[in-house]
Amino acid sequence: MAKILRVNMTERTATFEEVPEKYRLRGGRWLTSSITADEVPPTCHPLGPYNKVILAPGIVSGTNAPSSGRISVGGKSPLTGTIKETNAGTPFSQQLARLGIKAVVVEGYPREKGKFWILHVTKDGAEFLPADEYVGQGLYAAYPALFQRFGKQVAIMGIGVAGEMQMAMAGVCFNDIDGRPSRYSGRGGMGAVLGSKGLKFIVVDETGGPGVSIADPARFREGTRKLSEALRTHAVTKKDGALNSYGTAVLINIMNEAGGLPTRNFSSGYFEGAPKVSGEAIAEGVKRRGGAGKTGHPCHPGCIIQCSNIWPNPDGTELVSVQEYESIWAFGPNCGIDDLDVTGELIRLCNDYGLDTIEAGGTIAVAMEGGLAAFGDGKKAIELMHEIGKGTPLGRILGQGAAFTGRALGVIRVPHVKGQNMPAYEPRAVKGIGVTYTTNPQGADHTIGYTIAPEILSVGGKADPLTPEGKAELSRNFQIATAFIDSTGYCLFIAFAILDIPEGLEGVVESCAALLGADWTTDDVARIGKEILKTERNFDLAAGFTRQDDRPPEFMRYEPLPPHNQVWDVPDEALDSVWEF
Amino acid sequence: MQRGARPTSCSPLQLPEEYMVEVHLYGKLRRFAAEQDPAGLSIVHVPAREGDTVRQVLERLGIPLEEVGSNIFLNWQYSALSRRVRDGDRLAIFPDDMQLLYRWYFVKAEEQDDSR
Repeated sequence: MAKILRVNMTERTATFEEVPEKYRLRGGRWLTSSITADEVPPTCHPLGPYNKVILAPGIVSGTNAPSSGRISVGGKSPLTGTIKETNAGTPFSQQLARLGIKAVVVEGYPREKGKFWILHVTKDGAEFLPADEYVGQGLYAAYPALFQRFGKQVAIMGIGVAGEMQMAMAGVCFNDIDGRPSRYSGRGGMGAVLGSKGLKFIVVDETGGPGVSIADPARFREGTRKLSEALRTHAVTKKDGALNSYGTAVLINIMNEAGGLPTRNFSSGYFEGAPKVSGEAIAEGVKRRGGAGKTGHPCHPGCIIQCSNIWPNPDGTELVSVQEYESIWAFGPNCGIDDLDVTGELIRLCNDYGLDTIEAGGTIAVAMEGGLAAFGDGKKAIELMHEIGKGTPLGRILGQGAAFTGRALGVIRVPHVKGQNMPAYEPRAVKGIGVTYTTNPQGADHTIGYTIAPEILSVGGKADPLTPEGKAELSRNFQIATAFIDSTGYCLFIAFAILDIPEGLEGVVESCAALLGADWTTDDVARIGKEILKTERNFDLAAGFTRQDDRPPEFMRYEPLPPHNQVWDVPDEALDSVWEF
Repeated sequence: MQRGARPTSCSPLQLPEEYMVEVHLYGKLRRFAAEQDPAGLSIVHVPAREGDTVRQVLERLGIPLEEVGSNIFLNWQYSALSRRVRDGDRLAIFPDDMQLLYRWYFVKAEEQDDSR
């Protein structure tokens, strides 16, 4: 039977508990949001003794289901003050699941300030070890040292110096398939919450673990076969398809041509330098430079899509993994920078210091707007990142994110919702995504509104991205679908395939149901998604959020965005109607 | 014909009007342009006639339609092959192995949407 591992940082104890019946069918985001809602007082200080960090593999994580190595990290966000779930693809999720751990709950508050710990989790239990020697160290130094100490077979969750300093842009780092500190549950500052609790690393070793039990293996096999087939045939997810060949950065040129690539801190939807930082430029650069460079790199074993990459220096040595769409955009077009070696260095610094690339890039862009650097000045952007890493007074301001930095510098154009910087889709050009940014329970987030087979969720009608009509219903349905996928352990990118191939969606639901011994059909997707969203929404309402918080920043209502020259014109009532279900 | 009016039936007396469409090509379709740097711009200026559609512009370029994906943008708008082009239009074409888009947030403009 799977267990919940409860880690108390006040008493420094780690105990295994039975999984309560109400959580039995839950995993991933469904479970982290449920535990947060049940155990965390909504009005608590995110960095105080009453907040918690919950980690949960998805329902099918740890099995041979394709592209299913996602982990969800939940709690109350110090960046937004809302409930938060932020997820990543990593072997850590798979190992945790195969050790029979359904969730880790980190709670309490250290008696000794500034002391950090490692939690070493094996089949025999969990023990605390001092982390002193790694404090203040970059994660590119710490991870290899930890693998050497605990063995190559382990998987590692960690926070960097940003988390130690409790910065609101501190992410939670997980190792990739080769052991790099490069897969992040980045958004919302959950790394700062772990920092407040003094937990620096969780090292998990699945050796001798019980594995994941599957209630109905035949049905499970059939379900995973259907999904694999869908992923292997769809143009976006198949081998040599868009994601595999070019990575997520294939979207750079595409969003640019759609006039929706936020440029120079959301002052244009078109960046003239986009082709230089595109997925094509990555594929070509990797081929030309050779050496350590690679496209089609998986973040965890068992991924069919393999959208990650390794970007080489001009001499072929490794600079960074991974140059992906959001990260490149945040430091590239959003900062007016058109050089992959510069975006690569900035992403590497995020991995090393333990930062969310989206919030960090958004913050540098706001700092540029505020006069700390000129747009396009990569050298200065790197210097500002070092300020964050060193924790200088300026770095402590930047480290709190774009909204905080905007306030410090008198910048009005701060593209955020609930304190979280918007990702790489301009809401004035793609209004539906703006509805998702504003109304979802977690602040501006792009991954929270994917959809799946429209007929299941009765997404119908015609909706032009530039008109406000019909956006609320679309966004609601997308948010419901995403909440479900985020709970399965499957990567959200399966959505591209199962949107077009109904058997793929059946496979997702069947594999989850077969593993759990549940009698779900695809009709249950909407029910589960709604339940998760309502749980999260109710947490936010109890924390004091109102509909007035579900709004975009004011400048988007009066600054027309080139090239469409559109302003934000979705009525507030339409935003409010997202929650009428 | 006045710009902004919708093209209707062609009068037999009206002479075919020639104009230029600026086509931006990506991925493997860059081979139809002189500049083919994957990190640069591959632009072709294609003459077109009143009433021509995106499909006809592509045919004029010799681009096989089966290599064209769904990501077609006419003046920054996600568009169908059936849309009509006008003088000075900017057309961006992505190949079938660059299909990624958060498609559910976009609706394809069709011919009947050409009431510009």
